[in-house]
Amino acid sequence: METPRPDVWSLSRLLAEDLGPTVVWASPSVRSRTQAALPFPHHDPGEGIGGDTQTLIAVGGGTLLDLAKRYRAESAPGLRLVAVASIWGSGAEASPIAVMNEEGRKVIRMGSAYLPDVRVPWTALADSVSREAAEAACGDAWSHALEGFLSPLADAAVQEELASVISEMLALPIGRDDRWFEASASACRLQSRASVGLVHGIAHTLEGPLRAVQPDFGWGHARLCSTFLWPVLSLDLSLSAGAASRLEASGLEVAAILDAARRVYLEEAYERAIPLLEVHWPAVLRDPSTRTNGALVRAPQIEHFRRRAFAA
Amino acid sequence: MSNRDRLRELLLDVFLLDPGQFRFDLTRDEVDSWDSLGTVSLAVGIQEVFGHHLSPQEATRLASVEDIMAALRAKGVDFGDA
Repeated sequence: METPRPDVWSLSRLLAEDLGPTVVWASPSVRSRTQAALPFPHHDPGEGIGGDTQTLIAVGGGTLLDLAKRYRAESAPGLRLVAVASIWGSGAEASPIAVMNEEGRKVIRMGSAYLPDVRVPWTALADSVSREAAEAACGDAWSHALEGFLSPLADAAVQEELASVISEMLALPIGRDDRWFEASASACRLQSRASVGLVHGIAHTLEGPLRAVQPDFGWGHARLCSTFLWPVLSLDLSLSAGAASRLEASGLEVAAILDAARRVYLEEAYERAIPLLEVHWPAVLRDPSTRTNGALVRAPQIEHFRRRAFAA
Repeated sequence: MSNRDRLRELLLDVFLLDPGQFRFDLTRDEVDSWDSLGTVSLAVGIQEVFGHHLSPQEATRLASVEDIMAALRAKGVDFGDA
């Protein structure tokens, strides 16, 4: 089955196309650049855009792109949505999934209405993010690729395509490299045909509580994925012999994959998160992403995280 | 541990049940968490615990604990009830 995907336009094509009345939503971190480059009115993200608007250009990270996807799907179904990622990792510009906060919970919406019509690679925007954010974004992309590959819902075609993406990612440095944009877009697009797993179950459950008690630490989805990918992958491999054999059958070395996960691991973040993981573990077990993990996650496995079994 | 006990423990974990909620005559309609995600999780757990793969079609046809036991018996799992 072919994965639905948005058209890919260059920035110059975006400027040359007849878009009709157009509005831009841009993250604060890139707004001065979008105002200089895109000759359209800029509205605050989430703000209404007017009934005659034909095109919405959303420029930012996964949260802003998901907001725009939801707006188009639920409030303006005829709108053309152009997604421009300011950083790799979420792959939101290429997937039919939107993750939203609703009453303190992460809610996942999925469907063709959430798929942007067009995505525009504008890799220079990544200069606007910190080195730490760029590295965490690599962990986000790795989490999509590996959880999608190991998902019980991944068919042979998805596994084959994701194995190819994973091979490309193994050759990339952890940190700034424009090639991450395409790799993460592919990983997210493909995992949308399977599922994510425990890394996302933890990230979706803990993001709110961690932000509440540690508001200055910069908790976000990418940092949580980076922090928990290595511990979770280690758990999956210990629980399921099939996980390692699937990787190896696709020509992927388990040791190299584990090393990549270890390189995005954030020790200080883990130390800060583990007390809340213990508190929220029952909610993690109930999270929809956890329930489609590649290995069955059970209550006693909190010990794996508490004892740092992955680092032994 | 007998296969009946292994199955019971597995289903407690898959469907997030308290031990007192479990019965061998439970049906899917009685278990809130036996939804599509629960079915996926059940197939993963059966592979891990009993070493048998359930196709998506097989997994979605299961509508009770007795159905699960029947499907496993057909794959050679002995529940000591012969």
